[in-house]
Amino acid sequence: MMEPRFSRRGFLVGAGGATALGAGGVAFDGAHAPAAAQEGGLPDYAAWKDADALIIHSRNTMETKRGAVGSGGLTASDRLFIRNNLPSPDASITADPDAWEIAIEGVARPGTMTLGQLKRLGVTSEASVLQCSGNGRGFFTHGASGSQWLTGAAGCVIWTGVPVAAIVEAMGGPAEGATLMTSTGGETLPDGVDPASIMVERSVPIAAHAHAMIAFEMNGAPLPLTHGGPARVVIPGYYGVNNVKYVKRLAFGTQESGAKIQTSGYRVRPVGEGGAASQPSMWDMTVKSWVTHPLTDPGSGRVQIHGVAFAGPERASGVAVSLDGGQSWEQARFYGPDLGRFAWRSFVMEADLAPGVYAVASRATAEGGSVQPEDFPPNERGYGHNGWRAHAVELTVA
Amino acid sequence: MPRPVAAMAAGLAVAAGVAMADDLAEGRRLFVEGTEPACAICHSLADAGAEGEIGPSLDELRPDAARVARAVRGGVGVMPAFQETLSEDQIAAIAAYVARAAGGG
Repeated sequence: MMEPRFSRRGFLVGAGGATALGAGGVAFDGAHAPAAAQEGGLPDYAAWKDADALIIHSRNTMETKRGAVGSGGLTASDRLFIRNNLPSPDASITADPDAWEIAIEGVARPGTMTLGQLKRLGVTSEASVLQCSGNGRGFFTHGASGSQWLTGAAGCVIWTGVPVAAIVEAMGGPAEGATLMTSTGGETLPDGVDPASIMVERSVPIAAHAHAMIAFEMNGAPLPLTHGGPARVVIPGYYGVNNVKYVKRLAFGTQESGAKIQTSGYRVRPVGEGGAASQPSMWDMTVKSWVTHPLTDPGSGRVQIHGVAFAGPERASGVAVSLDGGQSWEQARFYGPDLGRFAWRSFVMEADLAPGVYAVASRATAEGGSVQPEDFPPNERGYGHNGWRAHAVELTVA
Repeated sequence: MPRPVAAMAAGLAVAAGVAMADDLAEGRRLFVEGTEPACAICHSLADAGAEGEIGPSLDELRPDAARVARAVRGGVGVMPAFQETLSEDQIAAIAAYVARAAGGG
């Protein structure tokens, strides 16, 4: 991990060799740099990951280096970020995936089904962006607690699973008046703790269940424990925390989960305020993009500037790229396969660069018309940053 | 080897007065048993004899006091916020103790 430092222009040099433009201030301080980050290397549960492609913030938090998400539309599994709110259960739970049991509640005919039984009900596949709520927290300057993610707590992968809609239909439909779908994780909690204080349980609006699945494969391979195997909830377009790992219970009803992670955690509020159920929950994602290449001096001449763009539950419809910190913009073009509205698109803009210093920014637009903002207001927990200025890179061409 | 808090406190007492040593001892007490849930259930911190594996190991994280205080006050991820159940003095005591015991400041 590179030590943060500042150029005379006040730009911040961040992790992984990428140069990020701070929003006019300090994105890191000593208290927030991932302490002793890479000393321990990969923990056992993630030993198969590509350590060279990751910034290891802690045992349970690792992000993909900015230049390592790939240029082909999908993120390789061994490069995908990890954010575990609780330690993974024992690896033995993935020994026989089809025997994994999930309780389905709040439907006309509730019951517990094995993954093997659920697989008989339907199958679907979707490419979608998985992104931590705090991705980009490291670009805020107000010292929000938590991993100082830059761009890499996000990836685009292909999930395969059982459509939740098929499960609900097979069990007689949701309970009358149900407004929420609640997923409960299968982590083991320590003795002596009120489960609600630390358990991973998330409620989302029931409409989200139309696209949700109980995923059992990722990028064509059985879902590894590292990413929530044998089965996790995937809600395309929603922030990562809602995609509950090792899911053991799926319930429909009218009451939001009483778990702290729902009632006061993952709530957007002004800096200095505590979390409360009255504040917006981290549900659907917003329009966002960033440049992934080049991040270091490419040499003068013709350069392909590329990156990724997505819009949460919407389709990303376009991206503009600026070489002068937002004073002028040029339309980039998408390339590669369109993997659907929940996936990110790779974009490219060709440029002839003379020696000099460039502030390279990208600004995505969603199909519905929303545009990636220049700045994103600081909030207590450092969630949801999609401001293009902070995500820009400074490029010095010799 | 972790420094026992008593020895640490004694050393500090010479340097910074008895009041601060008392604060560290109170911080340790709060860490081990004074919050609900107790910090020690989820976090490892050798000085406190804590071996929790739910949250990050504080011996590895080595947070400074300001970072600990922010986390205790407002929560982090699945970690609950304690600002409504602990006083600012108690949060400060925990923060000072953890930073000192983990070697973060």
